[in-house]
Amino acid sequence: MISQRSTRRCWPLVLLLLTAGAQADEYSFDMSQFEKKRFELGGYVQLEQQDFSLNRAGALYKLGYNGEPQLDSLGQTTEILDLTGKIREGIGTFDFHTYSQLQQNQVANDQNNKFYEAAFSLRPTPGVTLEAGKRALSWGKGYAFNPIGFVQRPKDPNDPLLAREGYVMADGDFIWNPGGALQTVAFTPVLMPVGAQVNNDFGASGHLNPAFKVYALYRNTDFDFAWQGKGSRPGRFGMDFARNLTTNFEIHGEWATILQFAQPVTDAAGHTTTEVANATSYLLGLRYLTESNTTYIAEYYRNGTGYSQTEADQFYQLVDTTFTQLQQIGSSPLLQKALALGQGPYGKPFAGEDYLYFRAQQQDALGIVYFQPAVFAMVNLDDHSFQVTPELLYTGIKNLELRLRLYMLHGGSFTDFGEKPNSHTLELYARYYF
Amino acid sequence: MKRLLWLALCLVALPVTAAGLDGTQILQKVDRNLEPESYESYRKLTDIQPDGTQRESVLWTVKKGRDKILALFLSPPADKGRVTLRLGDNMWLYMPEVGKPIRITSLQSVTGSIFNNADILRIDYTAEYNVEGVEERNDQYLLSLKAKTGDVAYDRLKMWVDKKDLLPATIECYAASGLLLKTLHFKDVKDFGGGIKRPATLETDSPLYKGYKSVMLWSGLKKADFPDEIFTLNYLPRVEELRK
Repeated sequence: MISQRSTRRCWPLVLLLLTAGAQADEYSFDMSQFEKKRFELGGYVQLEQQDFSLNRAGALYKLGYNGEPQLDSLGQTTEILDLTGKIREGIGTFDFHTYSQLQQNQVANDQNNKFYEAAFSLRPTPGVTLEAGKRALSWGKGYAFNPIGFVQRPKDPNDPLLAREGYVMADGDFIWNPGGALQTVAFTPVLMPVGAQVNNDFGASGHLNPAFKVYALYRNTDFDFAWQGKGSRPGRFGMDFARNLTTNFEIHGEWATILQFAQPVTDAAGHTTTEVANATSYLLGLRYLTESNTTYIAEYYRNGTGYSQTEADQFYQLVDTTFTQLQQIGSSPLLQKALALGQGPYGKPFAGEDYLYFRAQQQDALGIVYFQPAVFAMVNLDDHSFQVTPELLYTGIKNLELRLRLYMLHGGSFTDFGEKPNSHTLELYARYYF
Repeated sequence: MKRLLWLALCLVALPVTAAGLDGTQILQKVDRNLEPESYESYRKLTDIQPDGTQRESVLWTVKKGRDKILALFLSPPADKGRVTLRLGDNMWLYMPEVGKPIRITSLQSVTGSIFNNADILRIDYTAEYNVEGVEERNDQYLLSLKAKTGDVAYDRLKMWVDKKDLLPATIECYAASGLLLKTLHFKDVKDFGGGIKRPATLETDSPLYKGYKSVMLWSGLKKADFPDEIFTLNYLPRVEELRK
């Protein structure tokens, strides 16, 4: 048995060998370990802790925690395993992306396993790709919002760069390079079935939904034209653009119209009607990089499918009446109606009409490479309620990402951010890539 | 004595006149000696922090013509599958987790290192710069370069070029204000085969990042011709399938 003393003596030698190894390796480049493989697997594991300060006066808290223990705060731990992989054979590739999550808090434990993507692609020529399977498309030039994201799940503006679950579809990609001012044209057709077992959260069952996007790079400006035919959802069309005005200043925009969009609207007494009209959404945005490596992103978003301040007031009044009755007489005939509306269109994030998104981030702050503090804010321009979130991100440790955020919501009664279930959230995660 | 001095001066100037090269021609030679107009290569970027800790990125790069270039990240795992594309003055970054390309700028750094996007997606010097002056310094030429437009990452370059093999030795990069942004040191001239002999190592330091150093190593550099379709936004998710 090796004594503790002799082990201690060995440490300098071990350190020396390690250092020598590192020095020999300093300027070498072994390409062989990066050879393309037939099978690939990668991903990350993440441990996340969130501490929510609950807004017990908020309408969405009352609806969300109805029948649950009433808490002022909630601690939640989430473990995530995110896997991506590829299998290649000739001109074909099968790729997949799985997402598994374990979540524990004082109220419930939850487990969630999903295939975000799993699709087979064929590439007979560089200009042609044909795919079938589950695919997460990402249409639109907006950073936080995408009005022309017709065949994709909506973004979370709190984490716009996060991967999202796709839909089962058949799609293709056809690319041309005409040359001259029109440098590129690409056509992306999509066919998306909706049935009881497939894509059933997209819309009405029994439809094969067609959609397409045409992309063009014309005189240094990106353009997209998108269309989705009437089927599980109402028909819609739109376009976007993006271009650099200077090397450090980019502008982008999106515009979309949904034809005959049906929207349930309630009054304070719970009488619900469905209003049908064309709904137009759009956004205008910019991205600006300063000489000192600060990036500013700003977007104005007009949500044509959102509720006006008056309509939102009626809903909040309905919830208020419901829970006043519950408190006073122990029951309310309005409860089921309020719950359904809260879990439906009125409870979706960003259910208002006019929003401003702003983000500022500083690369290599305080002279520390890979340290990026940021702050972002979302403002409901109609009721002036808002959320401000400072963020610290550090990626200086090999394959490790550390992020700390504090979400701070501010708004009075009957306002968008004032009626959310949380008033503050502290969030910390460590993500390890492999 | 004056005649002798005049003769000596003429002899010093001889390499330029004998080779029949003016500044622009020297720069054109530098471009072609560094890389074929269309090529593929592997590069390793190492960022060395003041405490000695290092972070590495490995990229597969494909260039076509004077102004089309893309780079696929093979490592580290957090960046694997990311692709940067440059078409002239336009640059995009594709991130697999986001699923779409976003426009980026030449002064940003997708790796977070001293090398910015213009260094990683470098197109021909002659495509971006005019030669304003040439000086002879012993066995080197000193080229003074001025950006052709305001869209170029560095407004001015001072490039020291070895006379013998017409390869750059040192490049100083300046902002329009005259501020020195970084210095590039080319080292370790290596024969890559196929008639390509060029520095395999590029070191950079910057007064803006005191104590930090970044190193770029080349491997597998060879002539290659890829179709135009791959230099498009729609192709970026599939770039890796092109690698042999």
